[in-house]
Amino acid sequence: MNNISPRFVCLVSIGLTYLCTFPSLAFGQVDFAHDIYPILKKHCAKCHGGDEKEGDFSLNTRATLLAGGEHGPAIKQGDAPGSLLIQLVTSTDSEKRMPPEGEPLPESQVQKLKAWIAAGAPWENGLTFAKNSYEPPLKPRTPTLPPGQTGRLHPIDRILDSVRAAQGDAILLRADDSTFARRVWLDLHGTLPPVDQLQAFLEDVSPNKREKLIDLLLEDKRNYTEHWLTFWNDLLRNDYGGTGFITGGRKQISAWLYRSLIENKPYDVMARELISPTAESTGFADGIRWRGTVSAGQTVEIQFSQSVGQSFLGINLKCASCHDSFIDRWKLDDAYGLAAIYSKTPLEIHRCDKPIGREAKAAWLFPELGTIDPTLSQPDRLKRMAELMTHPENGRFTRTIVNRLWHRLMGRGIVEPVDAMQTQPWNEDLLDWLAVDFVEQRYDLKKMMRRICTSEAYQSQAEVVDDPREVLYRYRGPRGKRMTAEQFVDSVWQLCNAAPTLYDAPLLRGDLTEKQLDAGPSLEADWIWSYADANRSPGNERVTFRKTLEFKEVPPRSAAVVTCDNSFELFVNQKRVAASDQWDQVQGVVLSKYLKPGKNEIVLACKNGGEQPNPAGLFFEARWSDANGTLQRWKTDASWEWSSVEVDKNGKWKGKPEWKPAAVVSNPEIWMNKIGGQLKSRLRIAELSQSWMVRASLLKSDTLQRNLGRPNRDQIVTSRPNQWSTLEALDLNNASSLDQYLTRGAQHWIDQHLSTTDLIDRLYWQSLSRAPTDSERKIALECLEKDSSPSEQIQDLLWSLTMLPEFQIIR
Amino acid sequence: MQTRSLDYRLPDFLEDPSMPPREARRKFLQSLAAATTATMMMGEPKRIVASDEVIHPKPTADACILLWMAGGMAAPDTFDPKRYVPFEVGVPVKEIESTFPAIDTIVDNIKITAGLENIAQVLDRGTLIRSHVLPDLGSILHSRHQYHWHTGYVPPQTVACPHLGAWMAKVLGPRNPVIPPFITIGQRLEGVGESEELKAFTTAGYFGNEFGPMVLPYPAEAAQSVRPPQGMNASRFQSRYGLYRKLVDQHPHREVMSDYQQQSLLRSMENAYRLMDSKDRDAFDIMLEPKESYDRYNVSHFGQGCLLARRLVEAGARFIEVTTEYVPFLNWDTHANGHETLVRMKKEIDQPIAQLILDLEKRGLLDRTLVILASEFSRDMIMEGKPGSTANDQTTDPVESLKEMKHYGQHRHFTGGSCVLMFGGGIKRGRLFGSSAVERPFVAVENPISVMDLHATIFRAMGISPKTSFEIEGRPFYPTEDGKGVAVQDLFV
Repeated sequence: MNNISPRFVCLVSIGLTYLCTFPSLAFGQVDFAHDIYPILKKHCAKCHGGDEKEGDFSLNTRATLLAGGEHGPAIKQGDAPGSLLIQLVTSTDSEKRMPPEGEPLPESQVQKLKAWIAAGAPWENGLTFAKNSYEPPLKPRTPTLPPGQTGRLHPIDRILDSVRAAQGDAILLRADDSTFARRVWLDLHGTLPPVDQLQAFLEDVSPNKREKLIDLLLEDKRNYTEHWLTFWNDLLRNDYGGTGFITGGRKQISAWLYRSLIENKPYDVMARELISPTAESTGFADGIRWRGTVSAGQTVEIQFSQSVGQSFLGINLKCASCHDSFIDRWKLDDAYGLAAIYSKTPLEIHRCDKPIGREAKAAWLFPELGTIDPTLSQPDRLKRMAELMTHPENGRFTRTIVNRLWHRLMGRGIVEPVDAMQTQPWNEDLLDWLAVDFVEQRYDLKKMMRRICTSEAYQSQAEVVDDPREVLYRYRGPRGKRMTAEQFVDSVWQLCNAAPTLYDAPLLRGDLTEKQLDAGPSLEADWIWSYADANRSPGNERVTFRKTLEFKEVPPRSAAVVTCDNSFELFVNQKRVAASDQWDQVQGVVLSKYLKPGKNEIVLACKNGGEQPNPAGLFFEARWSDANGTLQRWKTDASWEWSSVEVDKNGKWKGKPEWKPAAVVSNPEIWMNKIGGQLKSRLRIAELSQSWMVRASLLKSDTLQRNLGRPNRDQIVTSRPNQWSTLEALDLNNASSLDQYLTRGAQHWIDQHLSTTDLIDRLYWQSLSRAPTDSERKIALECLEKDSSPSEQIQDLLWSLTMLPEFQIIR
Repeated sequence: MQTRSLDYRLPDFLEDPSMPPREARRKFLQSLAAATTATMMMGEPKRIVASDEVIHPKPTADACILLWMAGGMAAPDTFDPKRYVPFEVGVPVKEIESTFPAIDTIVDNIKITAGLENIAQVLDRGTLIRSHVLPDLGSILHSRHQYHWHTGYVPPQTVACPHLGAWMAKVLGPRNPVIPPFITIGQRLEGVGESEELKAFTTAGYFGNEFGPMVLPYPAEAAQSVRPPQGMNASRFQSRYGLYRKLVDQHPHREVMSDYQQQSLLRSMENAYRLMDSKDRDAFDIMLEPKESYDRYNVSHFGQGCLLARRLVEAGARFIEVTTEYVPFLNWDTHANGHETLVRMKKEIDQPIAQLILDLEKRGLLDRTLVILASEFSRDMIMEGKPGSTANDQTTDPVESLKEMKHYGQHRHFTGGSCVLMFGGGIKRGRLFGSSAVERPFVAVENPISVMDLHATIFRAMGISPKTSFEIEGRPFYPTEDGKGVAVQDLFV
């Protein structure tokens, strides 16, 4: 608990309020943290702070200050001239004067010290020159909840209201409905509230409408997943490009992660699957195998130790993976203990990159929870570690994740920085309660988000922070959050209808029900090969198929499904679109973006596997509706052609192909019995997903996203910038990609054929989730009624709206 | 109860009671601008106030231009001529040391190789170092060596290390507040091989975006980066900003305006607008250079980059890197056909570099501008790595004796010794420093200078103590690895 006295607290507020009252020292108010502490720190603490105690005098706390040293009390409260401290710093006797070396204190600082002593030498609770000795508890703890006030019985509010009361602070004001809606939409979906849904919410008069909205948003699995994917990609350093991929030294966990979020997999299960991985989730534990020789502090085994420590426990094992840490209790043996759990071969301990002649022994950080038998096989060791990590008594594991979620939703962690969980939380009860609640809710991430979002605390007006360089955090409500690069880009795409159609993440989006998937038309394609009796295709046979088709207009939505026993590469108009060597893992493809008016060519370079004769076959079916709404197909059948000439990696023929007709394979049931359902559902997903806006989280980072703070995920980086730099602002002014989005946005809004005032209203609602004020409407009108191109006017208005702090800061 | 020690300094103006509160507020906001740091993984970088206060050396240079010969510039074919053997079918490769003959320079005792006649005439303005040694990082990988050369730390690291330029931006800040202090010219970061590896060091890393590079891959298009978007004229640009400011000012929630995030965005937007609307932006536009002068640089992208660098230094840039561009197997990265490639590379760099030095001198800027030419390692006809190295042979066409022209050139990576040029910024003039062995292997034999010490020398010139440190995740980080670099005093006047 914080128990800062209310009298003092009002002075702790840093920043403008404080600056305006700066000359008021004369009134006896002293800001210890900002005026006095730095002076003591700079001039005195070297000999009288931390472990240093010259003359038996320590400044570590107010008590030691008052106690004084060999020469008696350092100060007399209220009597500056009579205080030894003032006498020593103002002494003209160079033998006596403090500090003993360097220039005497400047007069301005002496005056501050005098004013401070005159005011009774107030000290700020919690501030100390002593070394940090806090050691966080490991076990969970269930705090007793304070009684709570009428109408505010949410457990989080019971804790925080009592904190506010103890501080002498009033209950925080509630954010209005549209502010709340914008906040919760951006926090849970990462997108702006769609105007119709927002207005329905605002018009709803039911008392529990905020809860209903929170539930509605959390139930939308796809939007939830595609927003939180960014958080998890950062935390688990997963990306679609980056160092390491160049030599296959790194594996994505994208598909596993996406499914885990769609299914709302309990966090303990996720952690177990990451530590003791499946083929799909192994990328996290395996880390990055960089090219070339790597220091002992960055081998994949040590990376395992560092990543697991940081992501799941908020423990920094980077220091300890080189030598015993200077900053916390972790030792070289601890870092190597974890590494040895992962290591498949004996692991020699290195100190500062030099072997010390001792082998690491698999060991887990918290033996009080259980130990790992180092003689177990590697998979069994990892399995045991996964159990220990998610042990119900491992409060560090749960505190770490609830703190991360609190940080994302409330703008500031209960522990900061979020990766340094050895730091004392500003409220232990809150952290401990959330952690216990999380376990009671069976590690359900959505339920934890729901818990936080349904609190009055989350729904309060955001704090105005004048100076982020806080001395001691004091709870004053949620904090504004700068949009992540992904949130900003998504929001602009939403506003401008300008999202791309392609995405990089190797996964199929969405969560469609069986019913939705069964609803589509049945498949009509045949399995084909170069001859009908393909049951006995020789091993390693290569056949290249092709089919051409003319389009007057490219169908806006066409999707395809393709598979081949054993492997294929699909080229559409000489662009490589898909490939697979797993015939039972069918590929869905969004096709329209590769098509063009006129003649189109599909080429499928196929290969049968194995050494002995075995079945071979190709299946491809594309579907779209033509201008009349009639379903059209482009599918493998006897009208396809094949050649034994191959294509290169760009889909270009290596020689001149001679064409022969393809044959329908006589026994398709050998495949269809197994994957017929999958072929149908994958095609359906590919068809349906075309109407979903592609999200920035599914794309590789580009210049704009990188400049707006999306990290290179070569290391785990769990915090994004919360302020802006001039370079970013240059990009926001003239990045060509952003400019293109705005241009498309202008056209999109012109196509809506709205009156000027309606247009302004719509733009305000869509971008800022509110109506414009009269004066804003007037300014916007002036812009739109200028004598220039309407497209440019709308672009400029779109730009101005998206650059507003109100747009880019989630408050 | 919370326990935490503090480590920060009061803004100077707070020490000055004479300053009126409004002025104080304005200054305060400005100081915040300087403090705008991306929230890093473990909190923002904290300046370490050691018990011994760091004393920065008096700078001998205010600005720095790094001319980066990306891909491994072969010393024996550029600035350290050895026994020249002309091309002839059948000549044993091991007999060839240089594929260019030596030429005289303006400095009596210094010879360099043919194709660098213009640089030869300005060598009296600087020091030629022939004893730069690179570490053996196991397999010779360009991007790893480049990461090391640009950050002082061998990759991979547990944190993202900042580029040299980010250090200068962080510690020294901008010279002219509207010109970004750290600019890179000529390197594409998208669509080229190993671009992810290049991005890993073309960054301010743990210092945060604020100190990151302004990336200008195409010198001729650099002006675009400080201009309104394509197709937007000045008056529309101004009125767009006017519209924005009006909407900001009409914002109905006045009470949040003092919030630091709001202020940060508004201030950054204003700075960007100021740059884009000021005369300073002309520095980015090499097309504004008088034709005669422009033509002297316009022999290559790199040449254009040199011109851009000169203009930016004139306008007040702090650190600029101009690169010949790293693209695997292109430019200095000669795995085959090295000689003919170098004929072209020399044409691309010779005249622009000489012109850059002369122009800086003519403008009185050379004394306070440190110009460095360097590369991640050298090359050799036959030796891969250095003596004792286990690196694999990287030439694409290994032959015992020359059969055709493509076999003629320095096709192996050599780390045992390489050349660096340093001009201006307090560096001795007309000087040769260090030397390589007379016989192969051409390792540095006299006054070897490591990357660490070379960096310390550069930081020394710029007035940054190698002991400067920032605490990142509880670990101190220095401009040179663990603060161990020592400046080579002998290089300074």
